[in-house]
Amino acid sequence: MLARRVVVCLDVQGGRVVKGEQFVQLRDVGDPVELATRYEREGADEIVFLDILATADDQETMLDVARRTAERLFIPLTLGGGIRSADDVALALRFGADKVSINSAAVSRPAVLAESAARFGSQCVVASIDAKREGEAERWRVYTRGGRTRTELDAVEWARTCVAHGAGEILLTSIDRDGTRTGYDLELTRAVVAAVDVPVVASGGAGSAADVQEVLDDGHADAALVAGILHDEQTTVRAIKQLLASTGLPVRAVS
Amino acid sequence: MRVSVFDYGAGNLHSLAKALEHDGAFVEIETDPARAARTDVLVLPGVGAFGHAASRMASGVADLRSAVRGGLPCLGICLGMQLLFDASDEGPGVGLGIFPGRVHRLEGGRVPQIGWNTIEGANDPLLDTAPMTTAYYANSYVCRPDDESCVRAWSTHGTARFPALVRAGRTIGVQFHPEKSSAPGVELVRAFLREAAQ
Repeated sequence: MLARRVVVCLDVQGGRVVKGEQFVQLRDVGDPVELATRYEREGADEIVFLDILATADDQETMLDVARRTAERLFIPLTLGGGIRSADDVALALRFGADKVSINSAAVSRPAVLAESAARFGSQCVVASIDAKREGEAERWRVYTRGGRTRTELDAVEWARTCVAHGAGEILLTSIDRDGTRTGYDLELTRAVVAAVDVPVVASGGAGSAADVQEVLDDGHADAALVAGILHDEQTTVRAIKQLLASTGLPVRAVS
Repeated sequence: MRVSVFDYGAGNLHSLAKALEHDGAFVEIETDPARAARTDVLVLPGVGAFGHAASRMASGVADLRSAVRGGLPCLGICLGMQLLFDASDEGPGVGLGIFPGRVHRLEGGRVPQIGWNTIEGANDPLLDTAPMTTAYYANSYVCRPDDESCVRAWSTHGTARFPALVRAGRTIGVQFHPEKSSAPGVELVRAFLREAAQ
């Protein structure tokens, strides 16, 4: 049986790990290579680097960070931000990514998912979806460009479309919850998990180990993305995994 | 000891190369399949699609096959394991056929299978030296050998049971990614190198 995963996310900008709240107010929290390897030692199952303000210059920096990280990290590394084409995916994989997350570029041109999956297999193509709740009903709108641009897409429908185009995993971020530490959006997570047959990584809102447990259990997520509460040392990967194991969720044991 | 990693032009080889660079092993990334066959240890890495990789391997299949059949220690990882079989439902082209059998689509759970899964029923000296009970998998296809006696460990995804580790003499295939399975996985890679050096 597959273990539920705790995925540690590092927002990397200009070669440094930063943390924002609701996609703004960035502050420096450390060196990406050091942090990634430290989280592996603590029991993280995967690392994600998101280059949240990707520009041409930043992409160079990002690839250098990825290469240096891959040489020292022995758990999967996902790279996201500024990936626009299958050639960009090739470059990211080449430099040390095991998976690549694609967000805005897929909205502009969904074929980029199919082209990447055909060349590298869908197991390395992650569709990253930033969703924001609209109105009282259980409806969520897709936003792009780091949460700045509203699209016409419904998040659940869009997740289905991404999978149909070859995405092998969905990284689902609640814009409403991101950085708030008030818990994941369970309704959003459940809706997307029910709509697709690939793994779903829930993101946005982790305030405690209990929130992680909740999204994996009640939210039915395959994996939970955690960032700020770890960087601030509010909790540890080890503590989260101990809680998960104690509540009967299958997790990878770490010595 | 020269360790050649055959590069199909797809994935991340940094972590694998680092895991292999140990105990005086000299790791080289080789894009020419015939040249990759002329080495002390061959590693077939694990990212990409079968059809694409088989076409990159095609010009040197005969050299690789005869080298591996002749006792060249070989580790095939994920897709690299699948390339040790005859053929795959994933795409056209031929594998090395070290293990008679075919690669089939994984059915029985969410596909691709991405994440940490079990290594069950281990019965191989490599897993005695470097014990692993969970490993990182990222695959949509699994191997189905004609003769299951080559299967030295299994895993289960949903309702599907599939080979996690196969062996034929000095040829090892693993469906999981040891280079992505943290310290125990790196230890398995190094145990393989120690075995190969004997």
